[in-house]
Amino acid sequence: MDHIAKLSGQQPCTPSPIEGGRVAAEKALTAINPAAYAATRNFLDGAVTRLSPYIRQGILSLDEVRNHALSIEPDQKKVEKFVQELAWRDYWQRVYVAHPERIWNDVETYKTGFDASEYETDLPDDISTGQTGVACIDHFIGTMLETGYLHNHARMYVASYVVHWRRIRWQAGARWFLQNLLDGDPASNNLSWQWVASTFSNKPYIFNLENVAKYTGHEVNTRFADNRVLGYSYEQLNELLFPNLAHMAGDQHG
Amino acid sequence: MADLVWLHEDALRRTHPVFVAADYERGSDTQPVFIWDVDYFGENDIGLKRQHFIYETLVEMGAEIHAGSMHDILPRLVAARGVTRVLVPATPNPNMLRRYGQIRRALSDIAFDMVDDTPFATLSKPADLGRFFRYWNKARKSAMRPHGG
Repeated sequence: MDHIAKLSGQQPCTPSPIEGGRVAAEKALTAINPAAYAATRNFLDGAVTRLSPYIRQGILSLDEVRNHALSIEPDQKKVEKFVQELAWRDYWQRVYVAHPERIWNDVETYKTGFDASEYETDLPDDISTGQTGVACIDHFIGTMLETGYLHNHARMYVASYVVHWRRIRWQAGARWFLQNLLDGDPASNNLSWQWVASTFSNKPYIFNLENVAKYTGHEVNTRFADNRVLGYSYEQLNELLFPNLAHMAGDQHG
Repeated sequence: MADLVWLHEDALRRTHPVFVAADYERGSDTQPVFIWDVDYFGENDIGLKRQHFIYETLVEMGAEIHAGSMHDILPRLVAARGVTRVLVPATPNPNMLRRYGQIRRALSDIAFDMVDDTPFATLSKPADLGRFFRYWNKARKSAMRPHGG
């Protein structure tokens, strides 16, 4: 790491526990279980593959990952969800090629009842350092800063908190994720932030504390007293977060 | 004809089609080149942890790493090695495409080719990219087959 930091003129940091290289990538590929992935992927301790850093850097191709999944799981129904998640990356890449301007610009207007100009443009320090005072959000941010990786569901929670609870433009959060995630990809990352923000989806993505508790293990603090701003029903959250709008649905993964 | 494979962070594997395109029988260097351009890393928000991950991968795959500006390093390598063709994995990244275009124009007597990766899914008609499921409904059949066939 010292050598890398010197090359890049930065202070060294702790490397990610996720190892680079094709050998490590193939080891991770061999360990995938597409059927278990489909059943448990939304849980933080679910059978997620952690292949994304290898796919992002082209160490593994989407084609070979799909081929391997099909070869070890003959039941197409059990492997389809896994292949569909690979297809999300293919889809984002196609959008990137066809419309590169969409990577940093709002694809559509916010569907939150607020204009883009009503969102802050900079990420506050309490968010970038994981000291928001919302225990589960700080836990997720700390995991990202320490390991360079974060479970997809936790990414959605953090992105939603940044954009909808703190009313910060998705671009600030997207850049912060790119700088800290091993799999930071302009297309997958930024367009997913736009999906959460509602600038590339039909409605904003929100969640509540009950949902976090359902999908996280005991290592995440989901006590109400330590996560008050999340401790509401979806109906209450819609009124609090989007007072200019009528009713909207909540977590699509719930 | 001597080929040089110029890698970037989107395609760090020896099985990428760019290596199939390289003509090694005519004396092309089998070592791909990666230019460690800190300005490029900064433009692309590539943090130190990810740089370390990329470095580990490059070392394992036996790539040559040259620190400096792409605009300086690549022409120097091309001249020193008698390179007649530069092969680059295809990328949608505008920051890489801009550098590729500028260097290509500066080295007008050298051939440059971008090589596509193996496709994930083949669509008979251009995809409707308005929403994921419009794309998925068209791509599903191909995506669920080995090699997208």
